Amino acid sequence: MSSVLTLNNVKKTINRKTIINGLSFSVREGEVFGFLGPNGAGKTTTIRMIVGLMEISEGDIVICGKSIKNDFTGAIRHIGAIVENPEMYKFLTGYQNLMQYARMHTGISKGKIAEVVELVGLTDRIHEKVKTYSLGMRQRLGLAQCLLHDPKLLILDEPTNGLDPAGIREIRDHLRMLTRERGMSVIVSSHLLSEMELMCDRIAIIQNGELIDVQTVNELIGGETALFSFETGLINKTEVTWLKSEWEATIVESGFTVETAREKIPGLIKKLTDEGVDIYGVKTVAKTLEDRFLEVTSK
Amino acid sequence: MGKLIINEWVKLFRRAGTMVMVGIVILMVLGVGAFLKYDEIQNPPQENPNWKQDLTVQVEGDRAALEETGHNANLKMFYERRIAINEYQIEHDLAPETSYNVWSFISENMGAIGFIGVFTIIIAAGMVSSEFSWGTIKLLLIRPMNRSKILLSKYITVVLFGVLMLTVLYVVSAVVGLALFGLPEESFPHLAFVNGEVVERNLFLNLIGEYFLSSIDVLMLATMAFMISAVFRNSSLAIGLSLFLMFMGGTITMLLAARYEWAKYILFANTNLAVYFDGVPPVEGMTLSFSIIILVLHFALFQLLAFFVFAKRDVAA
Repeated sequence: MSSVLTLNNVKKTINRKTIINGLSFSVREGEVFGFLGPNGAGKTTTIRMIVGLMEISEGDIVICGKSIKNDFTGAIRHIGAIVENPEMYKFLTGYQNLMQYARMHTGISKGKIAEVVELVGLTDRIHEKVKTYSLGMRQRLGLAQCLLHDPKLLILDEPTNGLDPAGIREIRDHLRMLTRERGMSVIVSSHLLSEMELMCDRIAIIQNGELIDVQTVNELIGGETALFSFETGLINKTEVTWLKSEWEATIVESGFTVETAREKIPGLIKKLTDEGVDIYGVKTVAKTLEDRFLEVTSK
Repeated sequence: MGKLIINEWVKLFRRAGTMVMVGIVILMVLGVGAFLKYDEIQNPPQENPNWKQDLTVQVEGDRAALEETGHNANLKMFYERRIAINEYQIEHDLAPETSYNVWSFISENMGAIGFIGVFTIIIAAGMVSSEFSWGTIKLLLIRPMNRSKILLSKYITVVLFGVLMLTVLYVVSAVVGLALFGLPEESFPHLAFVNGEVVERNLFLNLIGEYFLSSIDVLMLATMAFMISAVFRNSSLAIGLSLFLMFMGGTITMLLAARYEWAKYILFANTNLAVYFDGVPPVEGMTLSFSIIILVLHFALFQLLAFFVFAKRDVAA
């Protein structure tokens, strides 16, 4: 797969203070790329540099083969973005807002606008003033605004900020549809981990302006081994010894937990029953993104 | 580019405030018209059969006053001008207008250009800074359009707004003036005083010319407000400073001009180009081309600052 966006050792200094220090990664065609980091890590600054709102101090950002530094209009035409909240002209209707942006691109027909409005489900209210819209509707109008010109890369900065669970789910479904059916790539930034887990294919973790890790979501959550929790009766001392030495198990009140590969579990169960340990239940404890995140960022 | 201007125009006129401004100008003309008409009905104008004697008396009084004035060029000019025009009227048998007509009404309403100036400055000051305060700048600047093009379209919109307001003022004044006061009975030329001589001018063209000349300082101040708005992203600063200079700039410059010669390089010493057609410049030795050069230099400075800062700066709001 070819990459839609490439960051090449991008740095940003403001007043001699380094905000972003040598970011390099690329986003592939048709993937949802998560941008994860604590507040103040530099997510928004990076996004602002990608869309050309901020100047790059060093390095370069290339979108569909065009450098945002040297060919701004060539590069930006492939991007649709919401940077932070989707701020619209409140005194205009939703449709008039979309017309504003349609006029700034070439070749956007009335039919295209209607299609996008239909897609985000605003057809009924599009001719009402934006000041009457709820936050969720504004978010959807924001999404419509960035889909008008069929961009190759969609950038959504905190897209689910302030949305209710239904709204979040809706955004998620839209993103899935856009990437699967239209081959768009999406960059999503957030500090909400559970959400990212559900949305993204790959996630980059940044902290203090540096890239800590880029991993696919499955890897990030699962890794090669998984954590299994055994609910057992009383375990006697000999079992405890070998569990600890051979399996590096952690003994807890209701039994023990062990981190191992899935295929080794039946053997372990067999051995325990042979030893006369009662097993009431075994379950995998999926490591959440949150655990991984804290683990990775606290290194 | 045309589409960008349409965008700005839509944003401008979909806001209630803008329509209120247009409404105020129209209402003001109607109000002045109603007041003058009422006044005319209460005190119908009377032909003065002795106007020649009256003017002769005034000329003699002015002559005496002229002897007494020392070095005040403006006062001297004022008397010289009144004497010359009065003498011209006596000589050519042109009785002074006693009744109101459409031309005097349009001329009367030129005072409203000050209002248009205030409105244009308010619009110019909000043009860039409000995009920042609304947060919409982030969506505006991520389009395949150069920032300088976007800024230029905004500036053109400000100028178009000013021109529109002037046109509204002129046209509404003409319509109201015609309806209430009608055309003058005999066409009376405008008497201008140029280089010590009295010249007759076409009234209609002269009024358009005067409207144009009075809008130069509006244009310069609106450009300055626009620059402050683009550089500091602060509409209050832009409005405050520009309005202060609009009302005080001329006075301060006059005070300075009386003492220092360098005052002639100040913007406000040059905004009133009418002095070269009908009056006296604030500092001796100033010419029309000198003033135009100073105006162009200020204009270029404002534009360069606005464009350079707007095109370069990071958008972090």
